[in-house]
Amino acid sequence: MSQWMTLLQKEMLEMWRNFKWIWVPITFILLGVKEPITSYYMPQILDAVGGLPEGAVINIPTPTAAEVLISGLSQYTTLGVLIIVLTTMGIIAAERKSGVAAMILVKPVSFHSFVTAKWAGSMILMWLSFFIGYLSTWYYTGLLFEWIPFSEFFQSFFFYALWLTVILTVTVFFSASLMAPGMSGFISLAVAIIISLVSSTLSNWLEWSPAQLTTYANEILMDKEIPDSTLPASLLAAVCIILLLYFSVFIFRKKELAA
Amino acid sequence: MSLIQISGLKKSFQGTEVIKGIDFTLEKGRCIALLGPNGAGKTTTLRMLSGLMNPTSGTISFTDAKKGEDIRDLIGYLPQFPVFYEWMSGLEFLSYVGKLAGLTSKEAKERSLELLELVGISDAKNRKTAKYSGGMKQRLGIAQALIHRPQLIMLDEPVSALDPIGRREVLDLLEGLRKETTILFSTHILSDAEEVCDEILFLHNGKIVESGTMTELRERHQQAKLDLYFKGKSEGYTPYFSNHELTLSVMTEGNRVSIFVRDIALARKAFLQEIAERNWPLEKFEVSSMTLEDVFMKVVGK
Repeated sequence: MSQWMTLLQKEMLEMWRNFKWIWVPITFILLGVKEPITSYYMPQILDAVGGLPEGAVINIPTPTAAEVLISGLSQYTTLGVLIIVLTTMGIIAAERKSGVAAMILVKPVSFHSFVTAKWAGSMILMWLSFFIGYLSTWYYTGLLFEWIPFSEFFQSFFFYALWLTVILTVTVFFSASLMAPGMSGFISLAVAIIISLVSSTLSNWLEWSPAQLTTYANEILMDKEIPDSTLPASLLAAVCIILLLYFSVFIFRKKELAA
Repeated sequence: MSLIQISGLKKSFQGTEVIKGIDFTLEKGRCIALLGPNGAGKTTTLRMLSGLMNPTSGTISFTDAKKGEDIRDLIGYLPQFPVFYEWMSGLEFLSYVGKLAGLTSKEAKERSLELLELVGISDAKNRKTAKYSGGMKQRLGIAQALIHRPQLIMLDEPVSALDPIGRREVLDLLEGLRKETTILFSTHILSDAEEVCDEILFLHNGKIVESGTMTELRERHQQAKLDLYFKGKSEGYTPYFSNHELTLSVMTEGNRVSIFVRDIALARKAFLQEIAERNWPLEKFEVSSMTLEDVFMKVVGK
């Protein structure tokens, strides 16, 4: 356990020294506040930019607070996922490529701890950044539109973050199995896109797909209650995360550290 | 007492056998050099011993390892090109590795400072490792191999990348470490092996072609050779030596005649008498001893 903590502390320090603790939360906050602010000021923005023919009437229906939060969340589906994959893809692959993983693993370090501590480090960064990012969406939506109850905000946050965790774990898995960080990033993105696409096109058959958690997070905001399939989808997500971590360690251990 | 036993060790890469069955035993407290030309399989052998690579077949067993014990507790390893976390300072890296090896924070820090002093880079302890020179990285690498007081340290080409001064210092360091632990290091530089080690393993094309202590090797490969230096060209004197009954072969180069003989004592007596009688202008007479390089060439040339 103390070894695991040492590994985790090192991850935290590294993310601090390479400024991940600064730029990831800031990007997530920017992504988060963009939506409520642009929705609110859209008529004024269009007005100020001009270019519309004389006499044209701008008639944009004011979105509801729930709609603003939902479109805020959709920012994280694209750019948020990209940032998560980019910050995580090298986490193991880069260390193995540089050879520093071999320096560490000739010491009596458990492979389990090595992989899971890295995963935990990325998780803490991701959950915190996403939380404050989405919290700022909620806050600005409250200020500019109307306040959504905190419990609904938090439920949608939690289930959405669970889906982001699946993506993060997929990235850790490919980072453990492949040598090249770029390759593991690319494949992780492709996997995330394919799962999302398949789940949304076949949504009737794939109600339990973890990718559906994004839809359920939206429904929580719209309908003010948790959809029935949320629980099985969350359980499946948890199973996926555990299996992916297990296989990450398994494959990483099998691979020879010195190429 | 033996520390580690290796038997029938083999390694193949994509069907090519790189290590073709190695057997040897390392004794406790010795310093052993793994000597061989580039590509002989030195690095591969060390990587298998350190657990970074799995042997295709064969066994590596530590005498002291209890059943199920992680052998990584017992070894320290320095790869040929050590790499560190570039954003850490030397002291941070050592303490980190120390804690991973099971020391408490306090112990790890104390041991790190002690080792930084020992390897002579304590001035740079707070500098980022990205800014370290090649020699400093090598020293930090040796320090990290020693952090958990392993029973065996394995160093892959520890001095090959260093300048003459750095190399001298690292060799002196190894000399000092011999008292504390068993050292196995690979090199292709013969004089380094000869200087620091008690024992030598010659690796060539994935096989151990010769092994033993320096004295044993000398005795086994000693060829009686006399070097005679004359004033001026020496060719004129060759026929006498090559026709002599004690001579095996003769080589001439400039003012030197080298003669391999059957028996040093007899040959010395006979040749010196003859030279004195004929009044040849001999300048220097030498009974040459076999160097490690001669053994190396002989063994590898087979």
